[in-house]
Amino acid sequence: MLAAERRMSLRLALPSKGMEEDTLAFLGQCGLSVDRTNPRQYRARMRGLPSGPVEIVFQRATDIFDEVNAASVELGITGYDIVAEHRSEEDDVVLVHAELGFQRCSLVLAVPEGWVDVSSVADIAEVATELRASGRELRVATKYRNLTRQFLYDRGITYFELVEVSGALEAAPALDTADIICDLTSSGVTLRENRLKTIAGGTVLDSQACLIGNRRALLADHTSLEATRGLLELIEAHLRSRHQVSLTANMRGESAESVARRVLATGDVAGLRGPTVAPVFAKDPDPEGGAWFALTVVVSESGLLRAVEALRRAGATDVTATAVRYVFERDSWTFEALKRQLQPSKAGDPLKTRTRTTAWSSS
Amino acid sequence: MSSEPALIQAQAIQRVRGTNDVLPPADARLRGLEAELRAGFEAFGYQGIQTPIIEPLELFLRKSGEEIVARMYAFSHWNRRLCLRPELTASVMRAFLGDLQGHSLPLRFHYAGPSFRYERPSRARFRQFTQVGVELIGAAGPAADAEVLHLACRGLQDVGINRYRLIVGHLGAVLQLLAQLGMSEHAQGLVLDRMEPIGRGRLDVDKAVADVVGLLGGPAGGQANGAVSSGLPDALASLPPEQATAIAADILARASLPVEGGSRQARHIIQRLLAKANRPDPTDQVQAAFEFVGELQRLRGFEVRTGLERRGLSTAPLDEVEGALSLLSAYGPLGDGVEVEVDLSLARGLRYYTGLVFEIYVESEEGPLQVGGGGRYNDLVRALGGRASVPACGFSYGLERVDLARPALDQVVQPRVLVAAVSEQDHPAAVALAFKLRQVPGLVVEQDVRLRGPKAALRHADRSGILAVVLLGQQERDEGVAVLRDMRTRRETRVPLDQLAGAVRAVVL
Repeated sequence: MLAAERRMSLRLALPSKGMEEDTLAFLGQCGLSVDRTNPRQYRARMRGLPSGPVEIVFQRATDIFDEVNAASVELGITGYDIVAEHRSEEDDVVLVHAELGFQRCSLVLAVPEGWVDVSSVADIAEVATELRASGRELRVATKYRNLTRQFLYDRGITYFELVEVSGALEAAPALDTADIICDLTSSGVTLRENRLKTIAGGTVLDSQACLIGNRRALLADHTSLEATRGLLELIEAHLRSRHQVSLTANMRGESAESVARRVLATGDVAGLRGPTVAPVFAKDPDPEGGAWFALTVVVSESGLLRAVEALRRAGATDVTATAVRYVFERDSWTFEALKRQLQPSKAGDPLKTRTRTTAWSSS
Repeated sequence: MSSEPALIQAQAIQRVRGTNDVLPPADARLRGLEAELRAGFEAFGYQGIQTPIIEPLELFLRKSGEEIVARMYAFSHWNRRLCLRPELTASVMRAFLGDLQGHSLPLRFHYAGPSFRYERPSRARFRQFTQVGVELIGAAGPAADAEVLHLACRGLQDVGINRYRLIVGHLGAVLQLLAQLGMSEHAQGLVLDRMEPIGRGRLDVDKAVADVVGLLGGPAGGQANGAVSSGLPDALASLPPEQATAIAADILARASLPVEGGSRQARHIIQRLLAKANRPDPTDQVQAAFEFVGELQRLRGFEVRTGLERRGLSTAPLDEVEGALSLLSAYGPLGDGVEVEVDLSLARGLRYYTGLVFEIYVESEEGPLQVGGGGRYNDLVRALGGRASVPACGFSYGLERVDLARPALDQVVQPRVLVAAVSEQDHPAAVALAFKLRQVPGLVVEQDVRLRGPKAALRHADRSGILAVVLLGQQERDEGVAVLRDMRTRRETRVPLDQLAGAVRAVVL
């Protein structure tokens, strides 16, 4: 019982090393704080969810998929590249949120700059054939064996050999342990420094951080599913709020309706649904007569100046703008999607719907 | 985490998706079907052959085509690249090359065994399925093609499938055109791989053209993102090759782009760069190739011949198909339920076919079901390392699909008898009695080994469809009789042991 009491509502694995800083910053923006007494510790607590503290386990991004799959944690944040490479049809991992919006990178094929004749995947196919004719195989160094193999096969390239390289992948062509590489890049700087170049049609996968969960663990435990819902609400609301600005302004008018009509007529300040208009109880009576109204509307950051200009034209003064931190909708769409994913998918399994012979259907 | 109690209960182990446990009575039915088909092949002089389920990956990379290669179960085991075979023809030809080349030709083989393809499972498509087929090695021409066509049709007839559609094509038409267009082998492969999905309506022609052009480096000849502008190769193209190569290397070196690429020599890189610049835009070629495929699909009857002639292509492929079909009729009529269709755009998922190809479809509730197919593959031996090409052809059925397509068999009631001892002391005598009963041809005699007494034995017999139970106790042994119970009529008789065999037969057979 003691162990059960100690257990927190949810266990979440976060990537250590390279991704740690960005992940903590992202959670911070969602209003979730991770307190770690000692940066060398690999366990911590995260506060900010109504359901209580969340147990945090720091792990290497590459291990998080396996930990979630083994249900030693219910949730994990890792790179989509890792999920795509490691997932199989029969694992227990569900993609809870596919696009957390940070740690963006691409898995790409890169070839030596000196291969001036190679500019596209089509050239790779020919070079592979050419090498083959001289008794060699095109050696591709990668840590993403499944994605790379499928990518090349799908493009009709079958003559290649995947090689494992310990240490820096980018150095493999220079060291002649591989001919080309398939690796992650975000800015391309590392590739260029190693005299490698990307090629047209050579992007295997676009990736970013994502949130994954264990299907069975979430289904088995209502409290962790509830905690997941809270976490998703905050993440969604934060992602939706990005680049949104809340504008307030004062406007004179006969009634709330007439003010709202004037604002909507400008066409540039519609807001998420429409403006909110509320009466202002002025401290001094207005010499010109008429009433004052306060107006609130949320617009996207890119349309900020246009919206302010439109409000001025409609007669607004005292315009203030605040960055929006969260936008909550009536339902959490990703949570609804997650619930659908958690449903057992037996009905769709064609093997179960066979009609003819009983012996072939599942036992 | 290890300090915490296991939250998740151990899950039952599921079978791998797309595979089946073949349970009784399907197992007996499928084994019977396989034996029946193979017996038919033996009558034509085909001999059984078995090859391993695991093969070197390389065997299928050479000539299978992307449809197969991208769907293989491939893995590395102790640094050896292996796979589960996706089909058997390549394996049989590997065996032929290895051990059977000295034999007088033709050689005829039949085989059956599991094959594996990582495809989306559906009603009649599994990731492990059983191929049953033949290969006829060392014979070219319509006579051999006709024999294989006949075997494929006759096998279906033998197992009661009389309504089906036989589609016959010939790769020669499309291969001729691709060669006429001057397409590279790689480009030809990309086109051939897409013929099947187009034929099945899974891919439209415009998309196929765009795909292939993209994979060939795009309409601009693939200069996008290149380190060298396309102007340089154009200018160099007018010079003699050695001079052009030297100048290009010099310019690249001055631009501090030393042309070095590990396993690739600078000379090759520059030669390829120049060759690439001189290459025409592939769009027209690819467009023309797929237009031809579409045309072949639409044309019927004599239009096919004029279609080929109009393009200046040889009509030999069509002649071969017609020759094989007319020889096929010499084997006897196919029956009213058989539709024969000639379609020169037919391409199978495998890239090793070179000549006549065919597929057989049976109409089912969910649409046409392909039960088998095959064709001629004259280049496979050379692709697998043979010194000369050896003409060969063959076909295979998907055993599970043939099973699905044939009429349901009458439920066969097995003549099962249970011999049970009344008490443990009687068991040795019951064993001896069962042994004697098994001498009766056709009887299936089970022994009660749970030894829980007559009541339990009778209940088990009742529930598992056993037709008769023979009970033996001390009293019966003393009297030299056994109790025989007919499970259908529930009548019991005491039968002298020397008459028991006859009495049991009368009840169950």
